[in-house]
Amino acid sequence: MIGAATLLTIVLMAGVTYLTRIGGYVVLRNRTLSARATAVMEAAPGCVLISVIAPAFVSRNPADLLALAITFVAATRLSMLPTVLIGVASAGLLRHFIG
Amino acid sequence: MSVSEATLPEAIDGGSGSEFRRGVVSCVPVLLGTIPYALVLGAQATQKGLSAVELPLMTGLNFAGGSEFAAIQLWTSPPHIALIVAITFLVNSRHFLMGAALVPFLGHLPQRKVFPALFFLCDESWALGLADAKQRADAGITPAFSLRYYMGAALAMYLAWVGFTATGALLGPMLGDVQHYGFDMAFPAVFLVLMRGMWKGTAAARPWLVSLVVAALVYLFVPGAWYVAAGAVSGLASAWLMAGDA
Repeated sequence: MIGAATLLTIVLMAGVTYLTRIGGYVVLRNRTLSARATAVMEAAPGCVLISVIAPAFVSRNPADLLALAITFVAATRLSMLPTVLIGVASAGLLRHFIG
Repeated sequence: MSVSEATLPEAIDGGSGSEFRRGVVSCVPVLLGTIPYALVLGAQATQKGLSAVELPLMTGLNFAGGSEFAAIQLWTSPPHIALIVAITFLVNSRHFLMGAALVPFLGHLPQRKVFPALFFLCDESWALGLADAKQRADAGITPAFSLRYYMGAALAMYLAWVGFTATGALLGPMLGDVQHYGFDMAFPAVFLVLMRGMWKGTAAARPWLVSLVVAALVYLFVPGAWYVAAGAVSGLASAWLMAGDA
């Protein structure tokens, strides 16, 4: 059920992934950041999040772009669960009827 | 439930069980988007020849969905080990930044708690935990970072990811394309709501716009998963330059 090469690949994947998880903490935990570095760290979470979802903003499918616009508006005024439901429903319906 | 709604009443109550439960509950909308992807990853993995034991071993030990999708796309029999491990590292290199952003909130925790907790760091648990910590900090609650809230969200994600990737491997190719149904829009929805919670005005958000534009352009014109790293790094570079102006 478990091949040797597969097991080795999985263990190495897990190892490098854990290194990426602890790396930032290990390097920075005992340092005091300058004002400039603090400003960069405060911008970091949003920069990572928006980069991950950037492909949705340049979809070639008009149904996807319209659904994203609806989701964007919902996200500026509603809380998490209604926003997610509106996003999923609008994407599903618009793709069905337009895309 | 928004992160802000979730934060205040039970934080004052302060029981450890309620903090853990608050984390689990805040993760429920996220699971709605995660579970369809877990099923699809499982189904794809069996088509590439991984067994219903090997795949949950991967998702349970590695627990980083983006890199697992990439690994399965590249999977051959036998696997090209160096290529898959290198791609895994590249896709997950954003964790360095995410961990760094948590450091200011982890000072009150001993390393023996931090290192196991960081094993469960993923986009969702990190974003929920950090957004919650920022709101508790604004509300004057100490410590701002609630480890039990974070672990509640993280373990809910972990169990759902491992359980539903295994389920997908067992059900196999009878599952269709989830993109048809719109579940993929759950991720932009979750991330946009979290970013609203981090909003500190237009000037502070300019690096986010730089990240968005660069990531989108790189996504369109450069093959592979470089767009996340390119977008994040260019946003940080612009934050560094703008901080120098002030």
